[in-house]
Amino acid sequence: MSCLEEKFDQLRSVYPAEMNSSLVLPLLHLMLKEKGHLTESDAVFIAQYLDVPPMQVKEALTWYTMLYRQPVGKHVIKICRNIGCSLMGAERLIEYLERKLGIKEGETTADGRFTLLAVECLASCGTAPAMQIDDTYHEQLNESKIDQILKELS
Amino acid sequence: MIEITIDNKTVEANEGETVLQAALRNGIEIPHFCYHPCLSIAGNCRVCLVKVDGRPKLMPACNQTVAPNMVVETEAPEVQSARAAVMQFIMLNHPGDCGICDKAGECRVQEYQFKYGMAEPISIEPKHHKKKFNYLSERIVLDNERCILCSRCVRFTREVSKSAQLGIVERGSHSYVARLDAQPFDDPYSDNVLGICPTGALLSREFMYKSRVWYLEPVRSVCTRCARGCSVNVWRRKKHWYVRSLGEEKNITAYRISPLENPEINGRWICNTGFDLHKFMARPRAMAPMMAGNTVTVDEASAEANRLLAGATNPAIILSAHASNEELQAFKEKLSPRVQVYTREDYCPAEGEVVEDDLLIRADKNPNSYSVHAMFGQKAFSAAAGHDVVIVWGDQVDYTSLGNAKIIHLTSYAPEQETRADVLLPISTTFERSGTFCNFEGKTNRFEQVFDKPKLVQHASDLFGRL
Ligand code: SF4
Ligand code: SF4
Ligand code: FES
Repeated sequence: MSCLEEKFDQLRSVYPAEMNSSLVLPLLHLMLKEKGHLTESDAVFIAQYLDVPPMQVKEALTWYTMLYRQPVGKHVIKICRNIGCSLMGAERLIEYLERKLGIKEGETTADGRFTLLAVECLASCGTAPAMQIDDTYHEQLNESKIDQILKELS
Repeated sequence: MIEITIDNKTVEANEGETVLQAALRNGIEIPHFCYHPCLSIAGNCRVCLVKVDGRPKLMPACNQTVAPNMVVETEAPEVQSARAAVMQFIMLNHPGDCGICDKAGECRVQEYQFKYGMAEPISIEPKHHKKKFNYLSERIVLDNERCILCSRCVRFTREVSKSAQLGIVERGSHSYVARLDAQPFDDPYSDNVLGICPTGALLSREFMYKSRVWYLEPVRSVCTRCARGCSVNVWRRKKHWYVRSLGEEKNITAYRISPLENPEINGRWICNTGFDLHKFMARPRAMAPMMAGNTVTVDEASAEANRLLAGATNPAIILSAHASNEELQAFKEKLSPRVQVYTREDYCPAEGEVVEDDLLIRADKNPNSYSVHAMFGQKAFSAAAGHDVVIVWGDQVDYTSLGNAKIIHLTSYAPEQETRADVLLPISTTFERSGTFCNFEGKTNRFEQVFDKPKLVQHASDLFGRL
């Protein structure tokens, strides 16, 4: 953990002192990058580092779907199933992805390459249907576009 | 002071207070779940919506600060229908299992649903299922289905007891109250959440299924477990609900303890030790007078005590810090000139017990040290003073520290050794008489009699008249 703590210290130095609660989310994201997924003991670790109540960190951890609490694949595909995208055929695309990857929404492929998550609004309704893979947005999707995008991923 | 109008009535409100606070102070009822006078304002339950003149929509009374000449309506048709809708929403996923819920009879959800929930249930989809028996600790069980997510319990641990051990995890209708998986809810004030939870989500494991609350009634008492002397309610079975088949014992059991609001001393809270007061009181009692290990009659025991005292050249008494002011007074008038007076702390902090904190708990684990010291000073017994007869008042006495003196012991409880006293006279407990204690700040607090004393047990104040 000591190298993690160094990174914590770095981040902390750019925040005003006494604003420990504001650091909860940045540290959770940082830790997620390091560890892939987070557990309660990670939340407790951050809480102790920041000297905030552990339950407060656990609340944040469980509230955000982007803070994974289970191991995920190398690439995480988040496809929107909210109203805008659904009107533009998102449900069919989710099914297509499920068939293509051979997994259900919420699962990870056996080779550990992809995790498929259906999510609520990605705030990209103007260019629906949309999905996010890792940190990149892909918009105005159709099946062949999805084929192309997945092929280009390592 | 500013004037506002609530339901066509002019009421005085304090600057800065909320409409709900002004209404409650003036005896106007506005329903509220999440608002609690000792906690921060959360404004999440919405059952307190009222109409405020000039506002485009209904406002939560708990989160609306009063302003001069504000006009508020609490019973307007749109307020009533909003309340009904809020109740409909809260009941959407509420299991409604009052029949098997310990809270029934003192449950705010039940009460408001009855009073304000005129809307038809609209659940067409199955209710959300959550964990029903979620053991937060040895003491408390949480039924997540019954919880209405008012966050009172969470705010209590953050703002009052400061352990911050509870939180609300997950999101939306999936969210629920939780503690850390790795740590039980072992806050020394944890049981207070049982009382502030407006529904049957948080229940005492000890009281679970012991009695329906409408068979019980509270009696005002004082916790004797430390020098704070918190006001408590002792819950006993109502007389007209005595049932022979329950057995004598269940009819005269103290079922549970709850805090009794006392702004001077403990506010609305007590500590877990106070919640266990009935268990402390239920330890094996000294039920009959004894002489050197043999049971005797009250008269025989008193006669022997008198004989010992009359023959004594240097008698002494060790006072009990559990004695009430009235008992101490009786002793002072009737017996004190004839004996050398010593004092002691009957109880010292037990292992693992919170010794003292800055909320309520005091290091002196006795309820009336203040009066003992005020009336008789403070002087520890010394065997070297060569007393030939010692009256020991109170329990938890180590006889070996008393030297070779003859022992007359007045006690409510009887561990093994007590039977070795030359004379043992059983006395009543705080639950068996009325009286007052003075807490560590000298504030007087009154306790009422909860039960009759057993036949062969005497009140200490009567005893002094006879010695
Ligand atoms: S458990 Fe009770 S007090 Fe706590 S949030 Fe739920 S309903 Fe409110
Ligand atoms: S603080 Fe002291 S008097 Fe109050 S409930 Fe606890 S032990 Fe009893
Ligand atoms: S009491 Fe006002 S919103 Fe709950």
